[in-house]
Order: sequence, then structure tokens, then C-alpha cells
Amino acid sequence: MTPARADGELRAEDVSFAYVGAARAALRHVDLQVSPGEVVLITGASGCGKSTLALALCGLIPSRVHGELRGRVTFGGAPLSGLKPHEAAQFVGMVFQNPNLQLINQTVQSEVAFGPENLALPQPEIAARVDWCLDVTGMAGMRKAAVVTLSGGQKQRTAIAATLAMRPRVLVLDEPLSDLDPVGAQEVLGTLQRLARHGGTGVIVIEHRVDEVAPWADRVVLMDDGRVLLDQPPRTAWADPRPWQAVGVGVPDMARLAHAVPGAFGPVLPLSVEEAADQLKDTWFEAALVAAAAQRPPRAGAGPAATGPPVLAWDGVSVEFDGKRAVDDVTLAVDEGEWVALIGANGSGKSTLTGLTVGLGKPSAGAVRFRGQPIRPGKVFEHAAQVALLLQSADDMLFETTVLKELEFGFRFRARPKDPVLDVAEAIEFFGFAGREADSPWELSQGGRQRLALAALLVGAPGVLVLDEPTTGQDADHMRAFLRLLDRVRARTGITIVTVTHDIRGLASRAARVVLLGEGRVRMDGPASQVFAATGELARWGVLAPPLARLQSALLGPAAADVLLEVDDLAAAVLAHRPGAARAASPGTGALRP
Amino acid sequence: MNSLLVQTIIAYLLIFVVPLVLPVAFIKLVGLSGLRTLVTYEARDTPLHKLDPRLKVLYPIGMGILSILFTWKFMLIVFGLTIVPWFWLRPSKAKIRVLLVMIIGPAIAGFWGQGMYYLPPPPIHFIYKFPWTLAWLGSPGITSYGMIFGLQQTSRVLVTVSTSMLILISTDVGDFTWAFERFRAPPHVGFALTAALRFLPEMIARTHLVLRAVELRGYDMSRPRWFQFRRWPDYVRRLCRCVVLVTVPLLVGTLRGTTTMAMVADARGFGTVKRRGSLRVHKTTAVDIWGYAILATLVVGALVLNHLGIGARYYG
Repeated sequence: MTPARADGELRAEDVSFAYVGAARAALRHVDLQVSPGEVVLITGASGCGKSTLALALCGLIPSRVHGELRGRVTFGGAPLSGLKPHEAAQFVGMVFQNPNLQLINQTVQSEVAFGPENLALPQPEIAARVDWCLDVTGMAGMRKAAVVTLSGGQKQRTAIAATLAMRPRVLVLDEPLSDLDPVGAQEVLGTLQRLARHGGTGVIVIEHRVDEVAPWADRVVLMDDGRVLLDQPPRTAWADPRPWQAVGVGVPDMARLAHAVPGAFGPVLPLSVEEAADQLKDTWFEAALVAAAAQRPPRAGAGPAATGPPVLAWDGVSVEFDGKRAVDDVTLAVDEGEWVALIGANGSGKSTLTGLTVGLGKPSAGAVRFRGQPIRPGKVFEHAAQVALLLQSADDMLFETTVLKELEFGFRFRARPKDPVLDVAEAIEFFGFAGREADSPWELSQGGRQRLALAALLVGAPGVLVLDEPTTGQDADHMRAFLRLLDRVRARTGITIVTVTHDIRGLASRAARVVLLGEGRVRMDGPASQVFAATGELARWGVLAPPLARLQSALLGPAAADVLLEVDDLAAAVLAHRPGAARAASPGTGALRP
Repeated sequence: MNSLLVQTIIAYLLIFVVPLVLPVAFIKLVGLSGLRTLVTYEARDTPLHKLDPRLKVLYPIGMGILSILFTWKFMLIVFGLTIVPWFWLRPSKAKIRVLLVMIIGPAIAGFWGQGMYYLPPPPIHFIYKFPWTLAWLGSPGITSYGMIFGLQQTSRVLVTVSTSMLILISTDVGDFTWAFERFRAPPHVGFALTAALRFLPEMIARTHLVLRAVELRGYDMSRPRWFQFRRWPDYVRRLCRCVVLVTVPLLVGTLRGTTTMAMVADARGFGTVKRRGSLRVHKTTAVDIWGYAILATLVVGALVLNHLGIGARYYG
């Protein structure tokens, strides 16, 4: 390594790339530079070329991913593109999206040592690198732990440590937060900040979850259709929300609020809840928020009182795995037509609880009922007609060769419903598959495949739709489209929805009722606006409340028993109580509604 | 005629009860999730975990040699010796349950199979002689000699199974790789083993998930009761078709995974040098020396005894 390289910048100069056989380039004339110690957030809609850019920046294009590359990627002035992957990895390291696929060894320390061992470094050097990487990622206490026993956040940190062991000057992370709960996400982001601030490592984070990364980033890069649309410091980048809206990419809630309530914030655009709260403390905004909260009528419950028996009920349900209680004496009822979100940290028992509704797993105590009838463990086929469960990996639920066959799949084994709310022909129209009936499901986009799996479940006319993390890894636009789709499905079918989610900001806030699980027990159950107001209780069970809820909690203190979860609603409320304001719709209101 | 009918029914039950019960026992007691934990390394701080990995690689090989050389009575001693380290290791209850099924299952199968199909020289003592209605299948009946022979043969296999399982559970794959490299094996051997042992449980978990997904999509995988004879052929047909159905998502997922894994291995410099470095520094301990000494004594002793004709198998 030359001295120039050791302290050099990573630069992409007029980089264009097209995959083999692709009609359209995935990257088009991209220019980018990353300095030591800099944190750069790259974001954009799904398919905009972010991951391809990551592969190009770390030298895996064109050596391992083939296609036509133009322009050049350099580190410290010397080209990376011609280097072998392990040579490039000592300048730019890449952490892939799914940590499970990049942890090859069985224990944490052997995983971290793998790279230096492959370079045939002397043992003291390998040991020093392993120690440093484990220290900096906060994994030193788990060095001998088996990889399979780690949580999502710990796996991601191990993957970062293993990449760091190659001593790269720049670290590229492709959606490192997508499978993590908020606590795991904070662990990873804390690690990255330490690396950048104290280790001088350049960090490139490719992520849809901009709210969580925004406060840490030095620069934000917005991509669309293979191009860099915008490359600026965060406050400048989000000073004008229009480019973001144009490509359907989310703006941090605090920035959206600042735009929706002009004049409330100082000259500096807030990016984090803490910054916003500092700026709003002892201002008219705070007074207006207090007044609005005092005038808001208290909410009685999550929805209209139920008239019949619950559609789903868990009565004193416990589930044990190897002597450990994953679910502990849960009693819960979901009424007809409700939309309930189950939230909680990883391992809180959410998926176990919902799996029981289709006979996956067996309660060690208690019973689960669908419309009063007990759900029999193991009888998945039988109960799948009543309760449709959409798995997180919708790709695993597609088995046929065409879209039409996929929709007809279930009817080969059971009778068609006599009075379906949505038959196959209607589903094709409703879910946007008209003209694509003969296409292979694998020709659809990821969002398309998820829609297809959902449609295929709904044509069976189930009574309840259970969704397991349906918005994981989706950009803001796709997430909004999916939520709109769910709204349409509910309007059309009146179906009851139970969602398991980490997506507190989007999906959980949309549900009328939120149930917080912690260590297998129900810890809170109520309307989203009330549950998310209890930020302290949520934090106790490993859940980070949405930014807007945390802001209201910070400003209102204990008075924040009921919070507003949409930027436009909050803006309208405070503007209506602004001193001297007419009780009319504010010009700011609605400007940023997705 | 009645007598023949009853004899035939008893004979069919004797023949088919074990082949039918064993898979059911496997599914009930082990299942895919149990299989997933079977080869998973259990990180602990026992002397066995700290043992020289080279000795651990040699141990199943050495004991396997002993199991081949000795006659049945000596074999029992060898088999007993392979059980002793398990008490030292104290695996989890879940693993013990799976291990017992994996050991007892083949033992019963071997015991039963040889009992029916291994025929000693006459005069043959039948525990149960099959009527002609079944004898045409190739087995004249169940013999005590055949059953004992089956038990002996199975025990020989179980010596290797037991020792290998012990080592798999107590050894990090990185240590295997280290040991192979000390034996001058190419790094790819260690890497292949590492990848297989790391991803086999993942693969099993994924298969389990996809099989669940098929059912969630409305595919009937429900098993008929044992007496619902007419439904069994349809069940078998559905099972076979299910294999075809789950292949696509499994294949797609696996291909995606291997692409990433290959890029990771490349980026971490795998295959760039013939002799890799190692984090591990193994300082030979007294336990290692004792281990090597015991293993060497056993193998050399067995060879000497074999040469002297004591406990040696007859290969006439």
C-alpha cells in the first residue's frame, strides 16, 4: 500500500455500468468521493442502482459481477477496478445486507480472524486485528459465541468486524438495518459512528431508514435511475423536499415537520428528535402543542366496541422452547374488522404468537381460537383457509410457473369459496396483474411478488390476514404503496388484519390498535396514539417510539398521554393553536402529505 | 388356511413394523429442526473443547480402525470407550434426544434387517419362520444369529458415528480447518467443511420454512391416520409433488446465498495463499499428551493383538 493510498479518498469518476444482457445501465455517469472519517448516506428508491454502486465502489465490479463498466473507481488516486477482490477489500470493505449469508465460520472470533488468516499474516498481527475489531464493534464479550446464537444486531456487528479485519479505509454497508429492530439498529449505528469519528474510517451507508441514519451522516446522496441526483450535507439536502418527493424517497420526520410548520424552528434544519426538541423548547410551538394536547378529547379505545365474539383470541397462551418461555400467559382478542399491530424487540414472541393462529407451533398452556373454534396445532392446511399468513420472505410462498397458476394454486387442494369477496379474475385487476397472467412470478419486481403472494392468499377468502414484517427493506414509496394497498383491501373485503412489525413509523402507526410484547407478555395494548406516547415504557421493552411521538413526549412530558403520529396532523394542531392564528387550515398543512 | 392367514399377517407386521416405525419416530422425535441442531457446534468451556484439534481429527479415525479390527466382544469394549467422553462433554438435553434417536434408530434397523436377511450355516434357529406367502420375498424368517450379527455390524458403524458427532459438537470448524492445514491438506478442504457445517443448519431451517409456506398456501400435507389405507397413496403422491414445488424457492434462495458467500470469501482473501495464517496457537497440554498416548496405545495395542490373533476377526 502506498502512503498516498493510506490516507486517500475513495472516488468514483464518471462511473457507468450495465449488467450482462441488460438493456439499461444500472449506473449512469456517477461521480462520488468519500474522505477518511466521513459518513455518507446513500438512499433512493428500490432499483435505483444503490447496491450496484456499492459493488462498484468496493471493486467487486467487474471482477465478480460481470458487465460493462465505464469510468473508474480509485482509492488514493490508484484504480480499484483492476484489483483482485481481496486486494480491493483492504481499501474498501463491503458489508452485505443479510449477515447470515456472510458469516461463514461458526464462532465470532473465527469469523473475524478468517480474512487475516487468508492473508497469511503472522499470528500476533491476526490476534491484534481480531481484538481491535471486536473492541470497536462491541463484540469483545462474545468472541467465543456461536454465530447461530447471535441476535440480528450482533450478527451485523460481527459482519462489520470481519470486514474491518481486512483493515479497509472505507466501509460500504448495504442496508445494514433492514432486518434489525430499533435497538439492534442503534447498536450498529453506534458502531459505525465510533469507527468514523475515532478510527478515521470512511463509512458509506446505503439505507431506506433515513430517520435513523440522518443525524449521523455528514453527507446525503440521493440516487434515481442509476444517477446521483443530489450530493450534499444533510441539512442542505433536505432543505428542499421536492427532489425527494419526486423520486418517492422519505424525508426525516423532523425535517418534514420543519417544512410543515414554517418559522417554528431556527435557521438550522433539525435532523434528530433531540435537535428539534432543543429548538422548540420554550417557543410558541411548545405552547401550541400543550394547548392542542389539552383540547384533544381523550380516546376511549382502539375502535368501535365489538358486537360479536372476537375473530381471533389467545386465552392464557404460553409457548416454551427448550424450557424457555417464548410466550408467557398471553390473553388477547382481536375483533372483526380490526387492524392490530404487534410490536416488540426481536425475540419478544410476536411471530410465535401469530404462528399459533394457523397451527404453527403448539401452546404449552392455553388455547387459540378462530371465531370461537379452537385452532389445532399442526393442522396448518386446515387453518390456512381461515387465517392467511403472509411470511416476511414472500418469495418463499411462490411455487408456480405463472401468475395465474399461482393465484389458482390453493384451489387444487380445497374447494373454491362459495361467495368470495375477491375471486381470481378480480384479484388480477385489483392487484395490477392484468396482462401479466402468463408471466412467471420471478419476472415480477420484489414488490410485485409480495403483491402476488398476498393476492394468492386473499382469493382463498380468509377471515383474518396476518402479515409478518411485510415492509422490511422497502423504500418509502413502496411502503406507502403497500399501505395503500392494504387500505384498499380492507375497504373492499373488510378483512381483519394483524401485523407483526418493527416498522413503528409506518405500519404500526397505521394500525388502529397496537399491542406491545416484551419478553413474551403483553405489556401495552391500546390505540397507536396512546401506546406510542409511552416512550419510556416502549424503550424499556426495546422499542423506539416514532420520532414524532418522541418529540411530543420530550416537549409535553408526562402530559403526552396521546400523541399525533402524522406530520400533517401535528402541524395542523400546532398551527391551529399558534398565537393569533385563525382557526383555519394552514398553508403549510398538507404540503408534505405522502 | 386360517393358520396361514394369521402367520402371513404376523410375518408382514414383523417385516414392515420397523421400517414404518423408524421414520415416524424420526419425524416425531427429531424432525427437521432436530436435524438442524445435530451438527451445530456447542460453544462451551470443557477440556474436550480445548483438546488439540489434530487429536480430535485422529480420534474418530483411530476408533474406526479399532471397530473394524476386533471381534464382537472386543468391539463392545471399543463401543463403551466411545461413550465415555460424552459424559465429559454433557451436551444439551435437546441434542441428547436427537443423538439417541440417530444412534438407536440405525441400531434397530441393522438388528432387524440382518435378523431377517443374514442366514447362518445350517442348522438355522428361527425365532419366527415366515410362511411361503412371504418367504418368496427372500427372507425365510427371523433368526437370533442374524439379529446378533446385525447388532455387531451396527455397533461398528456407531463407533464412527458416535466419535464423529462428539467431535462435531465440541469443535469449532475453524479448529478443524487449522488441523487439516497442519496435516498439509489444501485450505479448500477446510473451507468446504466450514461452509457445509455452517450452512447445513441454515438450509434445513429454510427447507422447514418453505414446507410451512406450502401449507400456508393451501397445499394439503396432512397425513392420514394409519388405518385410512385408501388415503395413503394420495398422501405419498402429494409428498412427491411437494418436493417439486419447494425446489424452486429453495433453489432461488440458495443461488442468491451462494453468490453472496462467494463474493465474501473472495473479498476476505480466501484462496490467495497456499498456507494460511492462524489465530489459533495451540500449546500442548497434559490432557493432549494423555489423549495422544491413549489413542496411540489403543491403535497399536489393537494391531498387536490382531497380529497375535487375539480378538481378531476371522476373514475366511
